[in-house]
Amino acid sequence: MATVVTPRAHEHAERLERVWKARPGLLGWLTTTDHKRIGLLYFFTSLTFFGAGGVEALLLRTQLLGPNQRLLTPEAYDQIFTMHGITMIFLFVIPMTTGAFGNYLIPLMIGARDMAFPRLNAISYWIYLGSGLFLYAGLAGGHGPNAGWFDYVPLASKAYNPAINIDFYGYGLIFNGVSSTAGAINIIVTILKLRAPGMSLNRMPLFCFAFLAVAFSLLFALPSLSLATLFLELDRQLGFHFYDTTHGGSPLLWQNLFWIFGHPEVYIIILPAFGIATSIIPTFVHRRMVMFPLVALAELLVAFLGFGVWVHHMFAVGLATVTTVYFAAVSLIIVIPSAIQLFAWITTILAGTPDYKTPLLWIVGFIVFFLIGGLSGITVAAIPFDQQVNASYYIVAHFHFVIFGAAVFPILGGMYYWFPKVTGRMYHEAAGKLSFWLVFLGTWVTFFPMHIVGLEGMPRRIFTYPSYVGWTALNMLESVGSYLLGAGLLLVVVNLAVSLRRGAPASENPWNGETLEWATSSPPPPYNYAVIPTVSSAYPMWDREDREHDVARLERGEGVLARGHETPASTVQDAELDEVLAMPPHSLLPLLLGIVLALMFIMLLVHHYLIALGIVGVGALGLAAWHGKEPRGE
Amino acid sequence: MSERRSRHEVSARGAHVAMSARAGVAPPGVAPLRGGLAMSAGAAARVARGRKAQPNGWWGMALFLCAETTLFGGLIATYFYLDFGASRWPPSGTGRPSVIAPAILTAILLATSVPMALAARCAAAGARLACAASIALAMALQCGYISYQLHLFVDEVHRFPPQDSAYSSIYFTLLGLHHAHVILGILLDIGVVGWLLLSGLSNYRVTGVRAVALYWHVVNAIAVAVLFTQISPSL
Repeated sequence: MATVVTPRAHEHAERLERVWKARPGLLGWLTTTDHKRIGLLYFFTSLTFFGAGGVEALLLRTQLLGPNQRLLTPEAYDQIFTMHGITMIFLFVIPMTTGAFGNYLIPLMIGARDMAFPRLNAISYWIYLGSGLFLYAGLAGGHGPNAGWFDYVPLASKAYNPAINIDFYGYGLIFNGVSSTAGAINIIVTILKLRAPGMSLNRMPLFCFAFLAVAFSLLFALPSLSLATLFLELDRQLGFHFYDTTHGGSPLLWQNLFWIFGHPEVYIIILPAFGIATSIIPTFVHRRMVMFPLVALAELLVAFLGFGVWVHHMFAVGLATVTTVYFAAVSLIIVIPSAIQLFAWITTILAGTPDYKTPLLWIVGFIVFFLIGGLSGITVAAIPFDQQVNASYYIVAHFHFVIFGAAVFPILGGMYYWFPKVTGRMYHEAAGKLSFWLVFLGTWVTFFPMHIVGLEGMPRRIFTYPSYVGWTALNMLESVGSYLLGAGLLLVVVNLAVSLRRGAPASENPWNGETLEWATSSPPPPYNYAVIPTVSSAYPMWDREDREHDVARLERGEGVLARGHETPASTVQDAELDEVLAMPPHSLLPLLLGIVLALMFIMLLVHHYLIALGIVGVGALGLAAWHGKEPRGE
Repeated sequence: MSERRSRHEVSARGAHVAMSARAGVAPPGVAPLRGGLAMSAGAAARVARGRKAQPNGWWGMALFLCAETTLFGGLIATYFYLDFGASRWPPSGTGRPSVIAPAILTAILLATSVPMALAARCAAAGARLACAASIALAMALQCGYISYQLHLFVDEVHRFPPQDSAYSSIYFTLLGLHHAHVILGILLDIGVVGWLLLSGLSNYRVTGVRAVALYWHVVNAIAVAVLFTQISPSL
């Protein structure tokens, strides 16, 4: 607690400081298992990849600024739009939400001192970094993946794409999937087992429900992607025939496996945004979310239904009508849980007393784009219409409204909202609002005209277009919009970077926020809480008696738990105290094993299979060492 | 105003809710279980007995196995997707798969769940050597299983290599990935038996043994699904 006032309370806090002291300097960051430090590593890495993906987007838009441009060759254009998609989905949104926001905030929100598996958390990060560099090594060498982010065969098969480009994709995504699977397991166990005693499931913040849904989706969706890419590499490297029609294989197998992953993936991208919205709205409208249980269930239901709609990406394939109609119907059913949440956000805002500070503005923008992207989503759930607009810019417009407008806006809002907590400084409010309006306007101008050029017949993924087809004016408008958008995003980064040095100091709870992360100092100490917080509702910061009770308990030294890196574990449903865990403090093994895994994938890429097998052996020894050193108390 | 409302709601929900929550960490007079301090067999057994929920390590393994089960679900779905799209399955020239040898082998693998379950119980009860012996017994059967399976595998690769057709591609990928899971399991066995013999039981290791036992139960259950997929053309 920040309110460490009496000498006895001070004594307890000092003991915790000593036990949880981080290693100094670079070594501290390389060996860290602190969820906040790992969250920050994820944040800066994924922000860098966001910058790379953004530069790629600007290159694409500049190429399409006018007809018959030759800024990029067709080959370079293919690689850049492919890497734009891969980067934004696998290297930006997933690690930014689950890795940065999830890692940093979930333990704080549930009153824990770390994630359930701190070393696994560290290795997730190093594997993610390795896979990102692996994918970009291809592009840097002029051999980036070039068959689109969904990499359809036969275009991606050896016959049509013999160079190494696709292999960076195939191995890179399996590599990346290891990180996301480990991260998902960690988030689920943390949420189920590490909640502060008293935080039964019905008192858990909606943010955590959203991340629980995301983690389960990742866990069950990723194996399908890994299988699809494994089959692809077996076809390409060893001459198997999974996707080869001449030997009984099927290219549609790829499409099915890819979209069984790919559609849940859409909800993996959007659900964290829902979670962030349900954190920001109550704070700035000064009231609880309406329909709390329904919103929680709707979050879980969206994730569940997301597994039953993949064929709506394949309406133009020529499947049986009964199949496509079934999937169109399920796609429409998802409107129900989505609308429950949409109406809950709007009602909460209308029923409260909204204070339109920067974070809430982003959420309002998110609601606008989610609504419009959702409506254009309903249009493409209509099978005949979808068959007309399939692979046109209409689709690009739809998913950028949803993925950029709806998924990224809350991420940006969340950056402003939690900036004071993470840094102990306030951002610049006026510049924050300006950045919102720039990005809001830029998003409209960039993506709205794409609906129109799409309906006019402009296909996606063409590197240029002739002047007589009449797409020039709207394309020029889109490109200008993208520069506006880029300027707005740059202003977000500049605002936060300058505020890091010059911002006014932030108190522990500058917004009167409702969840537990606001109970500790800004930035939080390595042990998060001097005393494990008392929880008796889903809005613990508004339960003043509980917070006063915590201060009294710290004075008595009750619930301080300072015999090593300790945090309580609770029962899954009712969060009764079950045991006190000792967490591993720091380790170099996650970094080393991450490097070992990267080496293995590099050896696979260059066809040295025996060396790769030898490296697996080294990895197994590393894991033995990992479990040889047990986390223990003092 | 809203703040007052929220405070009011809390008190309206009854004091006993808040009271029971406050009793949460370290109720007076009762020391909480501390697994991190349970470094002997007896202490580990006491923690295992006192626990109300499954330990985190067990949960982590359970969730990992969810992902692996999904992986095999995808493999089996791929098998039948290609099967239903084919005019002849297996293609002409490739014989029907044999039934007897894989069925007997799977039954043996399935039987190893019994000593593994026993090992988990022994570990939780603090019986270190009985636990190690059970795992060693299971491991002997598992090693026999995998040696004979690999022998069959190599033999079949020579008869109809995976480069022949989509059938042989999915056949060997499905079996190969399951064999890889069995080999991983044997490595895990070696790891935990090594632990038990070299440095004894602790809370961390009891959880480790339980997680490895769970791993085997699931891998064995998957073996049955893989078997029925493998022999489906002969049924």
